[in-house]
This record gives sequence, structure tokens and C-alpha cells, in this order.
Amino acid sequence: MTRTTWQRLKADRYGMSGLLIVLFFTVVALSVWIGLLGQGWSEVSGNSWESISATHWFGTNLLGQDILQRTLFGAATAFEIGLIVTGFSILLGTVLGALAGWYSHSWLDEIILWLKGVLDSIPFYLFAAAVAFALQGNRWAMHLAMIITFWTTTARIVRGEVMRIKQREFIEAARAIGLPGITVVFRHVLPNTVHILLVQATIVFVVAIKTEVILSFLGLGIRDGVSWGLMLAESSQEVVAGQFGNFTAASVSLFIMLMGFNLFTDALQDALDTRRIMP
Amino acid sequence: MHINCPPSNPPLLKVQELSLSFPNQEHAVDRVSFELAAGKTLGLVGASGAGKSSIARTILRLAEPYAGKILFNGKSIFSMNREQLKEARQRIQIVFQEPSASLSPRRTVAQTLLEPLRHFAIGDANYRQDKIRQTLQTVGLNHDALQRYPNQFSSGQQQRIAIARALVTNPELLIADEAVSALDVSVQAQILQLIQSLQKDHGIAFLFISHDLAVIRQIADEVAVMYRGQLLEHSPADMFFSRPAHPYSKALLAFARFESSARLRTDQLPASQGPGEHSSACIYAGLCVDRMPVCERLEPEYHKIQHTEEPHCVKCHLYDEVHADDKLADDN
Amino acid sequence: MSAVALNVKDLSVWFETQSGRLQIVDNISFSIKAGEATGLVGESGCGKTMTAFAILGLSPASGGTVESAGIEIGGTDISTLSAVQRRRILGRDIAMVFQQPGTALDPVFTIGQQISAVHRRHAGGGRNNTRQAMLDALEQVGFGQPGKIAAAYPHELSGGMRQLAMIAMATVCKPAVLIADEPSTALDSGTQALVLQQIKRLQADHGTAILLISHDLSVIRQSCENVMVMYCGRLLEKADCQGLFSLARHPYSAGLISCIPQISALKPSGINAIPGQVPTPSALPPGCHFAPRCDRAVTRCAQSVPGFGAGSDRGSDRDVACFRPL
Repeated sequence: MTRTTWQRLKADRYGMSGLLIVLFFTVVALSVWIGLLGQGWSEVSGNSWESISATHWFGTNLLGQDILQRTLFGAATAFEIGLIVTGFSILLGTVLGALAGWYSHSWLDEIILWLKGVLDSIPFYLFAAAVAFALQGNRWAMHLAMIITFWTTTARIVRGEVMRIKQREFIEAARAIGLPGITVVFRHVLPNTVHILLVQATIVFVVAIKTEVILSFLGLGIRDGVSWGLMLAESSQEVVAGQFGNFTAASVSLFIMLMGFNLFTDALQDALDTRRIMP
Repeated sequence: MHINCPPSNPPLLKVQELSLSFPNQEHAVDRVSFELAAGKTLGLVGASGAGKSSIARTILRLAEPYAGKILFNGKSIFSMNREQLKEARQRIQIVFQEPSASLSPRRTVAQTLLEPLRHFAIGDANYRQDKIRQTLQTVGLNHDALQRYPNQFSSGQQQRIAIARALVTNPELLIADEAVSALDVSVQAQILQLIQSLQKDHGIAFLFISHDLAVIRQIADEVAVMYRGQLLEHSPADMFFSRPAHPYSKALLAFARFESSARLRTDQLPASQGPGEHSSACIYAGLCVDRMPVCERLEPEYHKIQHTEEPHCVKCHLYDEVHADDKLADDN
Repeated sequence: MSAVALNVKDLSVWFETQSGRLQIVDNISFSIKAGEATGLVGESGCGKTMTAFAILGLSPASGGTVESAGIEIGGTDISTLSAVQRRRILGRDIAMVFQQPGTALDPVFTIGQQISAVHRRHAGGGRNNTRQAMLDALEQVGFGQPGKIAAAYPHELSGGMRQLAMIAMATVCKPAVLIADEPSTALDSGTQALVLQQIKRLQADHGTAILLISHDLSVIRQSCENVMVMYCGRLLEKADCQGLFSLARHPYSAGLISCIPQISALKPSGINAIPGQVPTPSALPPGCHFAPRCDRAVTRCAQSVPGFGAGSDRGSDRDVACFRPL
């Protein structure tokens, strides 16, 4: 299965360019994490608002920090936020959604739905502020706030899908040989939701990175680092002064990264969809 | 209530006084009893919602009855321990109506066929590979099907794969729940041929559920008719198709033969109704053309018709000597 | 002899794919006279439904190509009409009934509103006029209390009633041609008979020409005078219904008839089936598409395509596309 999936993915030109972009940012993020790139993000290495030069490829900001360094570091930050928030919220949403869907209309389902309803009704930015306050400025506060609130959409989608799939005969056939419910869910039900989860993961990834921009702007975002969100927040003053270095670097990087992810997951979704292979 | 039919010897499957209820009464089952001997085919016929599929699901323990017993090889499936139940499940398999829905779209044919073998821990890896290849051959498919996905096959081939999945564990009883109803006639004929040969070559017993009497005619040894959760007639197939006893059976047959003289009102064929409220009347009294006063008062017993060694029971007052006399009196 | 209501000439539908052309409907021609019902029978995927869509000029969803030498309704060629002109004809001169009565009706409008909308669109006239036509149409298809049905929403009706309402909607403008695509397949046998009966009544009362598409030969036998057998996009046999059932000339038609399970007094000793399976449109055999499955096939069958009248002229009452008809 993996081989045919890869072959079909390879045939998709847009998907492959998406994959290249994703790989590029992955390499950047890894290099930042192991200390090869972007380490001088906070260092004042030049004058205020220097223009593009051999030493400062993207110029410098108001404080004289190198924008390239900050952009590279920001890629790692975006990656970190996107991956952590997407991974955990999709996982949480899938597990809770699958439980609620498989045991629909039971007490378990009721509890999960109630929890989801409560979380959905709290204004998000208020919630993020509350979490940040409660955790006393812990650097994972923003991630946590997003995970706690973002899983609900996934859970709703998965629940509906599981309820639909569990009525199909192949599920009955699996139960008829006495497979335990949990095996049926993981082997027969959830694989049929993969295409939906992929789309959902893309959406969450994009939303997480965008939310970070807003939260950073509000001062609830990341600490001990720089992000494209913080750069955009900085640029709001610079743009007025006619300086577009921060603004361009952050928004173009954001755009390219998100587009890469979109292209890649679109292609992956097609490649994984066994229902599309024609005889 | 007791059926006076002599037991077929030895019964592979024995359903006793089985009752199931559902919130809206649709698909419910009301005190149904029948037996199925090894290697025989029982055709279970009735309109949709009559409770046929509910019985199938209960035999597989996908639904729990509120009363009654199901004995498989003499043992009640509701009092079996884990091991016994696993053993029984290996011997009872099912094929569903909709071929495209009965196979997981994201699993290859090989994965689908191996699953029961792995679950029941039958044989080693080599045996399993041989077994699935051999089974594919039995149902008329090639080995190259193994690595493909269900959507790469036509619906007839998908149904063959579903049958193969049911066959890999060497079952003694195969439940076919409208297994040919969704297929084109020519494909239907091929699948019926396959079922017939399976029965001949492997001695598998079939509980063949269908709303289509013509299909039942092709392969059933015995016919049981259900109406709104109750079993109204159970007889040898030749007897059923030449001399049906119950008025409902007669109506069904006339309809299936497109006899215009027997044109029924549309409300006469129940689309989807469960058992009525537990009144004391015969459940079919409302639509019966041979209704007698007693039918409104008293629920009929099962009567054995004395012309055959094989079971022929009918739940109708017409075959009760006392009330049959009433009927004659009425007519006069 | 009554006039020809629907005349289809050399109709083809195909899809271009990376792996080549998929021929779904292959050069078929037929005509139906006013007041006649013709059945189009074939197995799933043989191109029956695509034929209906092509006649209506509704382009297939995935961008196939339709080509014909003319599709005439009452002598007017509709294959060359623009989209706007065509919309004026659909529902007025030619109408269609689909298999799924549940999905063909809009759940947020009452039956009456939906039928009236069709009438208003095509016939115009005042409010009272439209309402009367709507009630008449409902009564025509056998509803005793049309007012009650008109006020109902689709979900309040059973499947059979919905299908009858669909037929009322299709016939409110008294079209010359009605195409019914598996109108009774999704219904249980009792309702099935009723729906077919109503379609037959329309045919008798209004002289509507009916094209009844079904995979079920017994449905066609019950309600049609003529029958056409389709296989892999081609018409193999055109005959009158009685003739086909008493003697099918094409081996495929004969095979198809022998596959229909019969209720006989004795249990049949064996089951008849056509060996092999229907080829996919991407892998159609050359020559006669049925040749690989046919027990009468000779070398020639796999080399050239038999047209109508290719075989002996025995029994000229019908068209058979076979070199060696039965």
C-alpha cells in the first residue's frame, strides 16, 4: 500500500512541489533546533533598519537585529506550534470523537458532547488569556489553550463519520467474528476517516499558525523566542515608517509554508484514497 | 406454545421462541422457532421490516433477544463461554446485501480474507496464504485479486470476495442476508450457482434471507415465511410452492407470480411494520382474505399439516379443525 | 399508426481519459411512437442511464461528450438547441422520473409548491389555473385526496407516494415523452406495481410516449409493448415484448431471460447463468462485445461488429445485432 501511495504521490507535480517546500522548512526547523541556523535572532548585529546587503540578506529591524535570522527562527517556531497543536488536538479529537461516535447516545457520548459544548462556548482569546494567567506565563500556555479548544471540531467530524461508518456491513462482518470493539474501531473504522483527518490537520495547522500571530500580538503568544507573529506585530509600527523588511519576510514565509502544506496534504489525500483507484 | 414438528436430526441450528424488540417496533421478532439441519438451505422470506435480518443478527450475537434461545450444535449461544463462542463464531458466517458496503474500502482483499484466519488463529502463515488463494479460486476469482482494493472490482466480484471471507474459516452455517438482492439478474444467477455448488461440495447449511420468492425457489430446501415479526408458515420448499397453506403465503406467491387476478391493495403488502400491539388476534387478521370471526379473538397455534414426514407448520385457524368448521358454517 | 414521438439517431456518449476513449453509449438509434411504452433493459453500467441523460441533453457530470445525428421530439430536433432553449423544453415536452424519489424532491417545499413551480415555469397562467393543474396531476397518478398530498412535505410521504408525486410533477405539463429511469426499483413489490400501473395510465390517457429504463426484465414485460436490450453501450436486440419473451433471437437476450429466476412447482435442478462477466468500458473486446461470453460465437464475431440485420433474415419482425442469431 505504501509503495502504490508513493507512486501516485510522485506522479502529482503540485503535490511534489508542496512536499519540497515542506521538506525545506523541515530542514530549516531542524537546523534551528540543533543550533545550526537562526541562533543570532536576538543579537543586535547592525544598525536600525539596514537595507538588504551581503551581511544582512533581508536587512535589519528597528533594533538592528538581522531579519533573516529572525525569519529562520520563526520558521522553527511556526513548525513547533503547528506540529504540536495539530498533533495533539487531532489525536485528542480523534480518540474522543471515535469514542463518542462508537458509543453514541451512551453516557460517555453525553459527557464528551457536554465537554465539547462547554469549550466551544468560551470566547477563545479570553480562554487563552485565562490559561496563560493560570500557568503563570509558562511557555506552553498558548499551545495548551489551542489544543484544548481545537480538538472539538475534529471530534465532531470524527463522531459523525464513525456513526455513519459503523452502520456499514463490513463493520457488522468484523463484529460477527467477535472482534473486540476497540479493534474494530482502530482497524476498520478509523482508517476510513484518514482522508478527513488529513484535511482537518491541514486546517488546524494553518489556524494554529495564524492564531499564534494574533496571540503574539496580544502578548499571549510565545516567549523566549521570535515568531513570524511577533515579527508581524513589530512590523505594524515599521510599516508606518516605510520599512517593509519584517513584514515581507514574515508574511511571505508564512504564505509559502502554508501553501506547501496545503499542496502536499491535498496530494497525499488523493494518493491515500483507495476508493479512487479505478480497475 | 410448542411446535409439533418432529426435530430434524440432528439440528445444526435451533431457534426457540426467539423474541426481540426495538424502540419503534420495526424489525422486531415475536416468538419465532425453527430448525435448520446441517447441509440444508432454509429460505426465510417476508417483506422488509418483518424481522428477518434481526434473526440473522441475533444468531451472530450482534443483537440480544429479550426471550428465547438459539442452539448451535445443541449448545445455547447465549450461555457459551468465551472459547465456545469463539468456536461457534468460526462456524457461523454471514454475507450481506450491499457488496460495496460489506468490504472495508481501505483494506486489500488479502487483508480482508486473512483477518478471520488471524482472529481465530487458524493455521500458520503458509497455511493461511494457501487457504485464501484456494478460497478465492472456489469463489471464481484469480490470485491477482489479493493485492487489490474492493473498489477495483464489479459488484458481483465484490460479493464473491464477501463470500470468500465467509468461507475461509470453513463454516458449517452461512447466513445470506439478501445476498443477491442488489445484483443484476445475470450476476445474481452466477452467485446463486456459486451458493449451490458450495452447498453440494462443502455441505454448508444456508439460512437464506430474501424478500424475493423466485430466488428462494432456486436454492431453498425449506421455506419459512415471516410477517411482522412472526413466523406464519414453515414447510418443505416443494410443498410451499405447490400448496402454500397460510393465506399470507398464498398472497405472497400470487403476487410474485404477477397473477393479476390476485392484485392486492397496496396497503396489503406491509412495507415496514413491526409486530402489532400484543392483542389476542391473529397478526394477519386485518388483511386476510379468509378471515373468520375467531381470527379477531384468538391468536392461532402452530398446526402441523399431516401429509409429510418433513416439518410443515402453519400458524392459522384454517387448519384448526374446530375453527375450520366455523368457517364452513360462516360460508353457509 | 400513430406519429413518432421520440426519434433518436446515432446517439453516442464517450469520455476521454488518459488511457483512451471510454465509449459509454455506442451509436444507438431508436424511435418511440406516441402512446407507446418502450423498455430499455440492460445490466448496471451498460449505458442505460447515460442514454437518458444524453436524450435530455443533460451533460454528464464528469464532462463526457455527446454526439448524435439528431434527437427529435414530435419532429423537432432538440439536439442542436442552446441551453436556454433546452430548458424551455425540459419538463414541458420531455420529462424524466428518477430512481430515488427521496432525493429528487426538495425537502423544504411542499409537494404542491414543487409541482406548481414546474407548471408556472412552462405553462404560465394564473394562480388558480396552476393550482388546478397541480391538483389534476396528483389526481391523475391516483391520489384520492390531492389537496392533502399537495400540502405535505416530502418526508411526510412514503417512498411509493413520493415516486407517484414525482410522476405527477413530471407529467403536470403533459409532456409528449416521459423517460422513467428505474422508477420502481427502490420500492417494494406492492408499490412497484402501483407505480407501473400509473405510468401505463398516463400512456393511455395522454398518449405519452414512454421510455422505461430498467435492469429488471419482468418490470418491462409488465408495462411495455416494445423492448430494447442494451449491452456495453450498444443495442443488441429490438423487439416487441411478447416476441422477445417467447423467442429471444440474440444470445445475450436469451441468456438474460434464462437468468430470471422462475417460481416453478419443482425445484430447478440447476441455475442458468451467463458465464464470465460484463467487460469494463476501458477494456471492451473487439467485434461484438458479447462474443467472449457467447457460446455461439465464431471467429467473425470477434473481428467485426454485427449491425442490425447482420444475421439471417429469418423473422424480420425485429432487429438483432448478431451474426448467428438464435
